[in-house]
Amino acid sequence: MLDPENTSSENNTAHADDFEYRAQKALKERPRFSIRTRLLLGFLLFFVLNAAAEITSIITLHRLDNKTRFLVVADRYTNEIQQARRYEKNFLLYKSNLQFVFDHVNTAESLMETSSRELEVVLGPKNLETLRAHLNRYKELIQRLDDLHQKGRSASSPETDKIEDELREHGSQMISFAFQLSEKERKTVASMFKYAQFVPFIFLLILLVLVFYTVNFLTKQIHRPLGRLMVLTERIGEGDLTPIMPARKYRDEFTNVNLALNHMMHELKRRQEQMIESHKLRAIGTLTAGIAHELNNPLNNITLTAALLEEDYKDLSDKERLDMVRDLLKEAERSEKIVKNLLDFARESEIKTEHLEIPNLVSETLAIAQNQIKLKGVTVNASFPENLPFIHGDRQQLIQVFLNIILNAVDAMDKGGKLRIWAEYYKSPDYITLLFKDNGHGIPHHVLPSIFDPFYTTKSTGKGTGLGLSVSLGIIEEHGGEISVESEIDRGTTFSIRLPIAKIPAELR
Amino acid sequence: MTDKVNILVIDDEPIVGKRLKPALEKSGYNVDVCETGSEALERIHNKSYDIVVTDVRMDEVDGMEVLSRVTEKSPKTKVIIITGYATIEIAREAIAKGAFDFIAKPFKPNELREIIQKAIDALEEESN
Repeated sequence: MLDPENTSSENNTAHADDFEYRAQKALKERPRFSIRTRLLLGFLLFFVLNAAAEITSIITLHRLDNKTRFLVVADRYTNEIQQARRYEKNFLLYKSNLQFVFDHVNTAESLMETSSRELEVVLGPKNLETLRAHLNRYKELIQRLDDLHQKGRSASSPETDKIEDELREHGSQMISFAFQLSEKERKTVASMFKYAQFVPFIFLLILLVLVFYTVNFLTKQIHRPLGRLMVLTERIGEGDLTPIMPARKYRDEFTNVNLALNHMMHELKRRQEQMIESHKLRAIGTLTAGIAHELNNPLNNITLTAALLEEDYKDLSDKERLDMVRDLLKEAERSEKIVKNLLDFARESEIKTEHLEIPNLVSETLAIAQNQIKLKGVTVNASFPENLPFIHGDRQQLIQVFLNIILNAVDAMDKGGKLRIWAEYYKSPDYITLLFKDNGHGIPHHVLPSIFDPFYTTKSTGKGTGLGLSVSLGIIEEHGGEISVESEIDRGTTFSIRLPIAKIPAELR
Repeated sequence: MTDKVNILVIDDEPIVGKRLKPALEKSGYNVDVCETGSEALERIHNKSYDIVVTDVRMDEVDGMEVLSRVTEKSPKTKVIIITGYATIEIAREAIAKGAFDFIAKPFKPNELREIIQKAIDALEEESN
């Protein structure tokens, strides 16, 4: 019967260790994405955006520069053509010298040739070609007109008229073309200026949104884990030492904190178990004194009986001898019983939760403490209502708590003292309250607030560790319950333990 | 001392009386046995004993109370205290209250016989 129990409790601890191990592993296994990296990425984004803004404005400025240069060329070109035409008109009207027309046309041509690249960029090769064709034709016509003039032909001959018509056409076309172009370019420049004014605002707006987003994001990234840590420390403070499981997809600086916290909780749990265990040993020590005392009675009966059996062996009747041997056996059994309860209590130490009945736990505890109760000469009266619901917890630990309170009560009472143990059950909330009321010396008012503090004791050195109630409180809190105490000097003390009832139906036994 | 020595044995363990009674009677004493302190007080009231052997720890009336009642009623009666556990405190307290001696459990019949013999010697010395 004991072996399968031991194995299952070992499995339980193995399971708990496994859970801790898996929590640590899950925390570590996530891809690493540290806050440092995130900050770096955030600032990199800022930099890229700023660089983009700079580059855009440099490009815009460069283009504006090109456009203005073109406009200057176009203006000068138009000007030259206009001048040429003015001299052309003078020639036609007053027959003045055509040389000025040539000069201006040539200047216009050289302007066009020297800035041909800029012009080509703005106009495109086709338009430039048209412009060039117009200029060449105009030049050709002027040349012919000049030739005719040199030959002494009179004006207004049909040939001259024809050239004049053509000249007028090409001249006006050249000017209107140039005007159109510079007008178009002026508009482009104007719109580019507007654009150049507008772009910084857009970038500013994007930056503003980005700043908000980044601040918000980073705050969340730092704030949320900090919030979790705060909740966690409260949880640890309340005694819940369940390891932290990952809540986010990535590892970062907080992961290290979580790993350290998990390690701390593991250590705390181990310490707590050690403390419970060491206090249990202490309780066993106390109980052993009572047992040594109590064992002397059956031992004495055995010694007396055996000695007299030896002394009078030949004179005794068979019936008398049988009676004595039976007494010996009976007293040996009694000795075994006295030791057995304590041995049971001392042996099991693995944490194992199951459905438990309060009356059974209390009677088991009383069986362990009976020698102490008898030795002190106090009476214990335990009564429970029928059909109390089950509670869920660790049998050994709860017995340890009850034992501690019972032994304290026994200590606080004189011979003839009475300890009453009973339970109250309230449906809402689903709690069982177990009460231990003694009529002992009571606890002084100023001491009451400290009795659950670790290492607080009113007993003389060597008699108490001052851990009993602190360990008890830890155990009850781990079971989701509470301990409270009321005391009156010389009237007695009442300890109440509130424990939640088991929500899951009891397993079939 | 021509009469038989009267001894009262008090112990709440029935086997103690059951075994000591024949053992001490064999040694030539008159032995009465009882299992509670209150029964013992009644017997003391009705009969005078030379020696009272009492267990110290009993419910209600304990060995110390028996001792004080015996010394009160007949100061010459020798009281031998049986303790469950030999401690200096109990021995000192018992002797201070007028007990003749004490014996710790577990003991053998002969050990008690020796102490009883010492008590009888003391009684004889006193009567001479």
